[in-house]
Amino acid sequence: MTLRLGSRILANTVVWGYALVILGPTLWVLSNAFKFKIDIITGATISPFTWINFHELLFSRQSDFLTNLLNSAVIGIASTAIVIVVATMAAFTLTCLNVRPWVRWALLGWALLFHMLPTLTFVGSWYLMFSSVGLHGTYFAVIMTHAVHNLPMALFLMMSFVGALPRELIQAARMDGCSYGQVFWRIAFPLVRGGMIAATALTFIFSWSDFAISLTLTSRDTMTVPVAIATFAQEYDIRYGEMAAGTLLSIVPALLLILLGQNFIVRGLLAGAVK
Amino acid sequence: MQSFITPFSRRSMLRACAAAFIVAAGAGAALAQSQPPITMAINQSPWLNSFVAMVDEYEKETGNKVELDVTPFGGLLEKIRNSVRGAQGAYDIVNVNSLWLSEIYSGGFLAPLGDVQAGYGLPEGVLTYGDTTNWDAEAGTFAGGGALMGVPVNGNVQVLYYNTDIYAKLGLQPPKTWDELLANAQAIQNEGEAYGFVPRAARDSIVYNFTPYLFSHDAAFFRIAGSGKADVVVNSPEALKALETYVKLATESGPPGPGNIAQGELIQLLATGKGAQAIAVIAAWGQLEDPNASRVVGKIDAALLPAGPAGTVASSAGHWVAGIPRNVPPEKQKAALAFLDWFAAKERQVDYVRAGGVPVRGDITGADLGDDAAFRFIGAYSQNAQHAVMGLPFAQAAEASDAMALSLNRAVIGEMTPAQALNQAAADLAGVLERNGFAVTKLPDL
Amino acid sequence: MISNEPSYKERRNKRWIAISLLPAVALFIVLTAFPVVNLLALSFFHVEWREATSAFSFVGLDNYHRLFSTEKVFWDGVRNTAFFAVTAVSCQMVLGFSMALAVRTAGSYGRAMLTGIFLLPIVVPPIVIGTMWRLIMGREFGLANMLLRLLGLGPVDWLGNPDIALASVIFVDIWHWTPFVFLLMLAGLESLDGEVIEAARMDTRSRCQQIRHVVLPMMMPTIIVTLLFRVILSFKVFDEVYLLTSGGPGTATEVVNFSIYRTFFRQDQVGYGSAMSIVTLFAITVVIILARGLAQRRAAQRSTVS
Repeated sequence: MTLRLGSRILANTVVWGYALVILGPTLWVLSNAFKFKIDIITGATISPFTWINFHELLFSRQSDFLTNLLNSAVIGIASTAIVIVVATMAAFTLTCLNVRPWVRWALLGWALLFHMLPTLTFVGSWYLMFSSVGLHGTYFAVIMTHAVHNLPMALFLMMSFVGALPRELIQAARMDGCSYGQVFWRIAFPLVRGGMIAATALTFIFSWSDFAISLTLTSRDTMTVPVAIATFAQEYDIRYGEMAAGTLLSIVPALLLILLGQNFIVRGLLAGAVK
Repeated sequence: MQSFITPFSRRSMLRACAAAFIVAAGAGAALAQSQPPITMAINQSPWLNSFVAMVDEYEKETGNKVELDVTPFGGLLEKIRNSVRGAQGAYDIVNVNSLWLSEIYSGGFLAPLGDVQAGYGLPEGVLTYGDTTNWDAEAGTFAGGGALMGVPVNGNVQVLYYNTDIYAKLGLQPPKTWDELLANAQAIQNEGEAYGFVPRAARDSIVYNFTPYLFSHDAAFFRIAGSGKADVVVNSPEALKALETYVKLATESGPPGPGNIAQGELIQLLATGKGAQAIAVIAAWGQLEDPNASRVVGKIDAALLPAGPAGTVASSAGHWVAGIPRNVPPEKQKAALAFLDWFAAKERQVDYVRAGGVPVRGDITGADLGDDAAFRFIGAYSQNAQHAVMGLPFAQAAEASDAMALSLNRAVIGEMTPAQALNQAAADLAGVLERNGFAVTKLPDL
Repeated sequence: MISNEPSYKERRNKRWIAISLLPAVALFIVLTAFPVVNLLALSFFHVEWREATSAFSFVGLDNYHRLFSTEKVFWDGVRNTAFFAVTAVSCQMVLGFSMALAVRTAGSYGRAMLTGIFLLPIVVPPIVIGTMWRLIMGREFGLANMLLRLLGLGPVDWLGNPDIALASVIFVDIWHWTPFVFLLMLAGLESLDGEVIEAARMDTRSRCQQIRHVVLPMMMPTIIVTLLFRVILSFKVFDEVYLLTSGGPGTATEVVNFSIYRTFFRQDQVGYGSAMSIVTLFAITVVIILARGLAQRRAAQRSTVS
């Protein structure tokens, strides 16, 4: 028993030690939101307190941060919803049902191939496609490109989670006379919720922090948070304080959305499963 | 890539737009003198506020509208390319950084200002920063005799910054030559309170920063010898002397690890008083004078860059030029030019400086600004601006710069001797030029 | 032959397959076919802009030939990227998995808190991670050196010293991306069958054995997918390197995606840059196929042994 206790203490120390490694730098970064630039660049830990960075971020004429937050939320939520629905359905079909092998290989192979290419090599093509049909700078353009950009990862993740489902369960449901659709909605969907939450969180985070696509495809009205924050990394003047303030304001809603979203999904699915 | 997907040819689009515009212009003809609203692509920057102030003044004075599409610096080139390469541009004015000028000029994306308004020339007194406002399409280089392509909007050149407190304490004078700069740097370094000289030798910007050393030694990277011919001269004995000076300054009297010092670190060291001297762009001035960002407010001054052995002075041009794309309707082009011309006049440029901008004229003196100490940089700025040079005045400047940057950076971090570095740089530069259709001659290896 | 007539249910099942795959296929075709094919095609061309129009000249395999004959920086980048991918990803996998295990065993309060903390790095925009870590690792005023000074150790030039710059960048990458692994491992662990684990606990002597013989094999699908995407993402690493070191000093921290950015975007050599992308793509594919084959052979061996 003493050994068990000892190893447990060791494990706890390691975990909280790691938490400290994460938390320390993050808190330091966020604390910069309340500092003057001179104190940030001299690495001062204790320094005069100021709201000036938030003031610049929220009220200066070139900055429209609240709109950017709203844009990021709209784009993040919409593209994530699309990705998760599309990926989960496709993952279930590809994993559990009889699909012709070439269909499976073509779809997955293409997804992986596309995912491996550097984003910056094809944003130009997207700009061209969307501007030639007059959709450049719209939510639609950004949402769809974010969706397709994050789809490969979500697809593979969902396949791994669906693949971990007990095969017998699906087999049994089919024996009972369920159609594919019914098996999906009643058996698979509720059971992969853990994986789905993780995939949702990751997809949302990737959309929330995307820079390359958003930069090219947004206009002033649809500009997202990372692009807005990047405007403070200027050629001759990196405005750390404003960047930190922007980060602080963008982390809070992102974490809230992830956590609330988790609750929402879990509860919704549990409710569905109980029926 | 950009043109095969568009279903309409550029010309037909342009014609349709022009037709639409003639109708619109006819409708608005009653409003004499007024111009259609224009949109300008511009980067977020420390000097943006002063530019916005000028736009406000223009709008108030004339009733015309100028909309600014403000983009992160890191994204502006992409936005400009996307707009000027399309059938119909999104921007009536594009703000082009000196590093991108040759690409945008040589691609033929901009309307020469003489075409927008017949016979238009830059107003007297406006700086050209080494003829970079004019492009000779035949020779593929900047040239005073070429077509006028744009009006500078921010005159950013390098100056020598020095800490007047430290100078006073040690009884130093602003250096006139590189040797004097080095002597100052060593005196300060030996004293031990601050670094004598802060080099900016990170790979990304080293070619830009080495340029004043090179050109003040009467050397160059290459010289265009008539159309289609280039002599690579970066491995000349003079260039070697320049690189040795550069490396000596970077390694002997400054912070350790110069190979990764970029603008951020340089300004950090100057602003905290840890760095006593540095060569950086005049755009950094505002930060050094901002009490929220600097401990050296009022203690920094600017001077002309040191001269080479034969008295030559050179400063790297880092300015911005506003161009008018071809793919916007002529009425918009005229409106764009009207604004730029208004902006370049002397009294507006004085206002621009007062609002915190860097002027694009060489004829503004301290007296114009009421000898206000806040603008004490203006003399040094004007002097340096007269000596502005573009190190790589041809279309593939970015490619050539990246190719040579590695060798120069290696010389600074000690992985190569200066001679080896220059030989390698010459070979790389020759490769770039040859690949782009130049007949190249090269000096023998050092 | 009535039995061959598809029943109502079979038709419905066929329709389900089509409907469930259609959105994914449509998204890929509409939005990725042109960019990917275009990229492949571009790698055989030299593109120049003259008179505001693009001039394409077909150069065959010249771009590839140039890449394999005269290019230097790119191959330094390949070497660094391979090292980067192996070290960063293996650390992330081990750390992420251990932390997920630990969080599972923590009490519900500590668990919620730890999850929140562990997720922080991936919620911060990459541009902020890069600029802020550059400050933290600054030689003169950085937080890292300040801590060292408290311990009485001399300042380290984390990003300016060519010998340790890459290690510093790898550290930041591990810091940044471990949450990715953590989140997926946690999800994988939570979806494991509780009864099986409980039964295994009775059978095995120690927790280590339980993890090795029960949890790990059951987690394999998740681990493999996580590994796959971490490897791909680390081959695509860009923001951190760009903001921390821009590839320097020398080529100490040059990575593939940075070479591609410089060539394709900054120098506007789209043909040559495309060739770099295609070669990289090909290389990762080969690595993945080899890894897959290796894994399958080992699995086969194991099953014949037991």
